[in-house]
Amino acid sequence: MSVGFTSSVETDEGAVATIRRGLAAAPVLRNGLWVTFALAALGSAGRVVVPILIQQAIDKGIVGQSSGQPVDVELVARLAAIGVVAVLISGVAFRQASYRLSVRSERALYDLRERLIGHIHRLSLADHGEERRGGLVARVTSDIETLAQFFQWGGMSWMRNSALMLIVSIVMLAYDPLLASVAFVVALPLALVLRAVQRRLVVAHGEARERNGEMLGAVAEVVSGAASIRAYQAGDHMGGIVRDATDRKARQQIRAAWYGAFLFPSGEVFSVFTVSAVVVVGVWRGSAGGLTAGAVVGFIFLTYRFLEPIAEFTEIIDQTQTAVAGLRRVLSVLDMPVGPPAPETPESLPDGSLAIDVEAVTFRYPNTDVDVLRDVSLAIPAGQQVAMVGATGSGKSTLGRLIARFADPTAGNISIGGVDLTIADPFELRRRLVVVSQEPFLFDDTILANIGFARPEKSADDIAAVIADLGATEWIDALEDGVHTRVGERGDGLSAGERQLIALVRAGLADPDVLILDEATSSVDALTEVRIARALERLAAGRTTIAIAHRLSTAARADRVLVLADGVLVEDGHHDELIAVNGPYRRLHDAWISATSL
Amino acid sequence: MLSLHPRPFAFSFAGAAVFALATVASSFAIRWVIDNVVLPRFEDGPGGGSVSTGTVVTGVALIIGIGVVRAVGVVFRRAFASEGMWRVAETYTNQVVERLVRQPVSWHRRHADGDLVARAGVDTESTVSVIAPIPFASSTVLMIIVSTVWLFLTDVPLGIVAIIVFPLVVVTNIVYERSVSEHYTRAQTQLGEFSAGVHESFEGVQLVKAYGAEHRETERLAVLADRVRASRVEAVARRSWFDALTDMIPALANIALVLLGAVRVDSGDLTVGEFTSVIFLFTLLVLPLRLIGYALSELPRSMAAWTRIQAVVNEPVEPDPHALIGEPGQGVGVHLENVEFRHDASTGPALSGIDLELANGKVTALVGPTGSGKSTLADLVLGLTAPTAGTVSLAPGARAIVFQEAFLLSGTVRENVEFGSAVSDDAIWEALHRAAADDFVRDLPDSLDTIVGERGVSLSGGQRQRVALARALARNPAVLVLDDTTSALDPATEAVILDRLRSTLDATVLLIASRPSTIALADDVVFLSDGRIAGHGNHADLLERVAEYRHIVEAFESDRAGTQ
Repeated sequence: MSVGFTSSVETDEGAVATIRRGLAAAPVLRNGLWVTFALAALGSAGRVVVPILIQQAIDKGIVGQSSGQPVDVELVARLAAIGVVAVLISGVAFRQASYRLSVRSERALYDLRERLIGHIHRLSLADHGEERRGGLVARVTSDIETLAQFFQWGGMSWMRNSALMLIVSIVMLAYDPLLASVAFVVALPLALVLRAVQRRLVVAHGEARERNGEMLGAVAEVVSGAASIRAYQAGDHMGGIVRDATDRKARQQIRAAWYGAFLFPSGEVFSVFTVSAVVVVGVWRGSAGGLTAGAVVGFIFLTYRFLEPIAEFTEIIDQTQTAVAGLRRVLSVLDMPVGPPAPETPESLPDGSLAIDVEAVTFRYPNTDVDVLRDVSLAIPAGQQVAMVGATGSGKSTLGRLIARFADPTAGNISIGGVDLTIADPFELRRRLVVVSQEPFLFDDTILANIGFARPEKSADDIAAVIADLGATEWIDALEDGVHTRVGERGDGLSAGERQLIALVRAGLADPDVLILDEATSSVDALTEVRIARALERLAAGRTTIAIAHRLSTAARADRVLVLADGVLVEDGHHDELIAVNGPYRRLHDAWISATSL
Repeated sequence: MLSLHPRPFAFSFAGAAVFALATVASSFAIRWVIDNVVLPRFEDGPGGGSVSTGTVVTGVALIIGIGVVRAVGVVFRRAFASEGMWRVAETYTNQVVERLVRQPVSWHRRHADGDLVARAGVDTESTVSVIAPIPFASSTVLMIIVSTVWLFLTDVPLGIVAIIVFPLVVVTNIVYERSVSEHYTRAQTQLGEFSAGVHESFEGVQLVKAYGAEHRETERLAVLADRVRASRVEAVARRSWFDALTDMIPALANIALVLLGAVRVDSGDLTVGEFTSVIFLFTLLVLPLRLIGYALSELPRSMAAWTRIQAVVNEPVEPDPHALIGEPGQGVGVHLENVEFRHDASTGPALSGIDLELANGKVTALVGPTGSGKSTLADLVLGLTAPTAGTVSLAPGARAIVFQEAFLLSGTVRENVEFGSAVSDDAIWEALHRAAADDFVRDLPDSLDTIVGERGVSLSGGQRQRVALARALARNPAVLVLDDTTSALDPATEAVILDRLRSTLDATVLLIASRPSTIALADDVVFLSDGRIAGHGNHADLLERVAEYRHIVEAFESDRAGTQ
């Protein structure tokens, strides 16, 4: 079970740098961004129509009314008509802007997802450890979702509100530069307040997320340890641990909420000071500088408009921060180097059965300082059946992976059919060399689909022929829906042995020239064991086969046994020969015997 | 929900009322300032009339004072609404967890882990998300009522124009919710499918690579991602019109107010101050009005989550199978009589006709092929599951089980051994010694106080098993069940542990064994096949009498690699 714990791993990269890199990675979004912004600005223009109208109405229509002159209703009506047109135009522009931004951001995120999936599939297997899988899935799903959330709400909000502030500033300056300057100067300290509180808010939100992760961790322990908790009657104890964790989370969330609550009306508080300043300065100057009553009233409205977006900014700042963090994690995956590079001029492999040559191969996993393989050389003639044995950590599985080119050696060369792996056509290599894990993965689909995965172009008849060839027809026919039986998640609907059998048929459909078998350590019931052995024998016939063996019997049956210890090839020969000399194989053999007998 | 934590919500509602009234009052202030300060100053053309400083100060004080009161109202409303919301979420989480620790193992086996964690976690947050906007919504309602009354008192025709807008915005909201929610719901479902696909594809990455299917898989997942995109774009096409409309309707109404206001000023029914303040008040009302629909849109999601929480909280706690365990006769450690177990009524029995008596202090190995019911039998013996028929009796005293997968808390070694009951340091070290774990624990950086990490990640599999074993031994159990516990240990350590168990513990021990070296350490063997006991005796005896047992042991010997 994986629960979405938030990781607090952050790099030093600033938000702006991340956004810049993000835009570079998403050209669809970047292109035409200025057009979108211009539309958003036009869309925001509708918000200044009313203040302007009021100013005009008061100055040109209403003022003087108190001294007996009639209101110029006709003029006000004409102005209102212009206002209506302006509102309609800006409304449509606003709609276009938000639609454009959404469509493009969704397209960009789709592209990013596709690139990310392709990249992750090409990462080396060392980067695909079980402990990292949840993280990789989160990059493609939830991290991109934080961006999608951002573009649905926050992105448009930033665009529109900054456009609004810009336009309102321009209108204010156009009316009266002095009053505008007064308004800006009085509002300026708000920027400092916002910065100070917003930083605390971001930290508080981050801590709240951490407390939430801890709480989920505590709940997950209660759930996954249910059996142990019951067995030891530790329910009250565990309940107490969770209660502490939920309390800590609630406290932190509330602390963050207080910061948010103070930040939210800060724009409004500053507007009343700014409005007051505007009134005082406006009244002090009077009509001397060409200032009118309408302009002062219009200014009051504009000032409120100018600071109105602040409340919304404080609401989206956290969402923005989350989105930037998500983007940073996404980009960091795209920065990870992929597995073995594809050759520039791929060379095809010779027809027929293939020999394998390993020359002075040394291998070390990235970021470690131990050689898993040290100067290993060996030659496997075409068609030979080889078993590789050795203790856990001896390097036998690694050697198998290198021969399949899931990674390249740190030093030395491997060639197949005389062609060096680094220049061999990767598509042909995957067609002609197949790795079968005996703890195989099955998709949540039918048996037919799982077998067909090896060669999607093959027909159901081809698959039936392979099933018959490997002697699995009887078993599959006995299942309720035959080959159309669904195997369940990870193949959970089948036994371990049945999953292995399907994996063998899948390999059979691929009809490879080289077969690398990674044997299972788990036990299988006797009947299936027989079926697997028979299928394996038929599958291996006539192909160069390397079995990474965990079973004594496999080694005993092979043409040749390779013994690895601590990354070094220590013995090479037939089972009988190696038993005869009192070497590492003999000792391994004896240990097996003693562990499996009474 | 609000009644769970009434205090913060009371503060929040008070703040909301202050906010609403101050909002209406602020338009009074603007009106006063315009009528008494701005207009008189600009009255008589160039040069202007004069206004006393006192009047200006009063006007400014009015604006600032009301503005500050309004802000304080906002702070109270928001902060206490959040406080109440998070406290309610906490209460719900605790209620769910309270149930989780009470329900027996059989209940837990019927529920997916991830689902239960979601109910205690994300569902509680979704449920309470509807709470936070309630005080805000209430202040909006109050504001609308007060300002409508005030508008009508000021000028009836203006009042009529203004209130027409309120239902219009609400109707737009409803229409929008109807036309858009299905697309968002669909997008959410499609996102779920996409996530499942990604998870599966990454899980099977080795297979994908082995068959060179990277491109195919990327394309397959891209199709799923594109469906999410298409649904969202569809929703956005509608939402963007809604957003534009909720912007345009109030703006148009505002223009109408200006026009109508000018007419009313002309006819002498309205002062310029009144005229401006009506428009000002209207502007202040627009934002809350737009947001109220957004707040309501959380309701369905919240209800769904609340239902899921209630399902767990209201489910009666199933009877504890522990309570059904009886006491066997003198000298007997474990006694099962005619025990049967079915996973559910429709399937055949997983275990049937189990009659088993283990003498006090004996070590018995439980052997059988995969799926023969060994773990189920272990659960029945320890009272983790109740038999569907028959009785289980255990010698009095503590009981303990160690599972195949050791379960460790993320706390310290000490907390893991104590596991909720107080154990002295000496007793902890004694238990660790018997579990052959004292040496490595002593070498840990903080010894007993070393934090083992989530699920004990900082320890090896064998070390985790031994800490879990020490937890069991610290209780000096009269009955101890080891469910393939020692399979992660090498045979030599296994032998040391069993030896110490025998010499220091007077317990009846049942060992589930999957390798010969474990069988060799037991006094007796119980052989389980197809849910029935197919043999009970010593190893040599069973080898001779039971063909299937012989077969399985031979399979171990000929083919099975044990530890390496």
